[in-house]
Amino acid sequence: MTVRSGAAARSGARGRPGAGGRPGGVARLVVRTVSEVCVTAGTLIVLFVVYVLFWTGVRADSAMDGEIGKLQDQWSTGPVAAGTPGATGGQPSGPGKQPPYENGKSFAVMYIPRFGADWSKPVLEGTAVDVLKKGLGHYGRTARLGETGNFAVAGHRRTYGDPFKDFPRLRPGDAVVLTDGTTWFTYRIDRRPYRTLPTDIGVIDPVPRESGYSGPGRYLTLTTCEPEWGHSHRLIAWAHLDSTQPVERGRPSALTG
Amino acid sequence: MYGWIWRHLPGNAWVKALVSLVLVLAIVYVLFQYVFPWAEPLLPFNDVTVDRGMGAVR
Repeated sequence: MTVRSGAAARSGARGRPGAGGRPGGVARLVVRTVSEVCVTAGTLIVLFVVYVLFWTGVRADSAMDGEIGKLQDQWSTGPVAAGTPGATGGQPSGPGKQPPYENGKSFAVMYIPRFGADWSKPVLEGTAVDVLKKGLGHYGRTARLGETGNFAVAGHRRTYGDPFKDFPRLRPGDAVVLTDGTTWFTYRIDRRPYRTLPTDIGVIDPVPRESGYSGPGRYLTLTTCEPEWGHSHRLIAWAHLDSTQPVERGRPSALTG
Repeated sequence: MYGWIWRHLPGNAWVKALVSLVLVLAIVYVLFQYVFPWAEPLLPFNDVTVDRGMGAVR
């Protein structure tokens, strides 16, 4: 028995290479195909990382420059809309006096000196994914720029140009300056960025919850994601309207000084 | 896989190399233009708002 089976095994072992090298060839083909698939998958992943980290930024930077250029053209040539609230020195305008911003269109430029002297981003109406690829997004239900209430804006922290990359560096007193073509609005941050859950929509209320503000006012809220590459939380910054000045009087001191 | 493709490309080695280069560039273009923009929102970097649920209702 043992002799027989040993002989069979030996003959089988001898039979394999004798059969035209096919079993070995199949194994080689399988190993080669599997490794080729692995290399392909690795290349795909590297390409996707390049896309997310680099290419979205390139596309977003050109889109944001385009939006700012469009706004500046509009402001320098077109008739300037008269009487933005706040420009007249602080009379609260009645609700519904101004038409709502047009969805998906840019209407203001934001400057935050803390993020760099040359940091400027367009603000568009709406917070849809496509809108946030072209700049910062204004929450549609919240107040207009400079109005009583809460002017709330969302932006990417990472990818698409990393507009809010340095968000945690915001400190009380930091200026957030916006212009709509007729008026400069200077908001001042009131506290360090606040970390909350994605469902906490009270942070963009007219009087934001947890902000420390007790009564109605002209507030600004910035929101972005937290942690930097994740989506488990949100990071919030609140500011109040500190001063306004018409564009004819030049840039506000927060930008020049 | 790649060996099979190489064997089925027409022409001599130079022509094959040129055709493969064009193929690679075309695939990268399709990925960057269509596939990655579709796949990227499935990742969490886009969630920067606090009212995503409300936004879906509106």
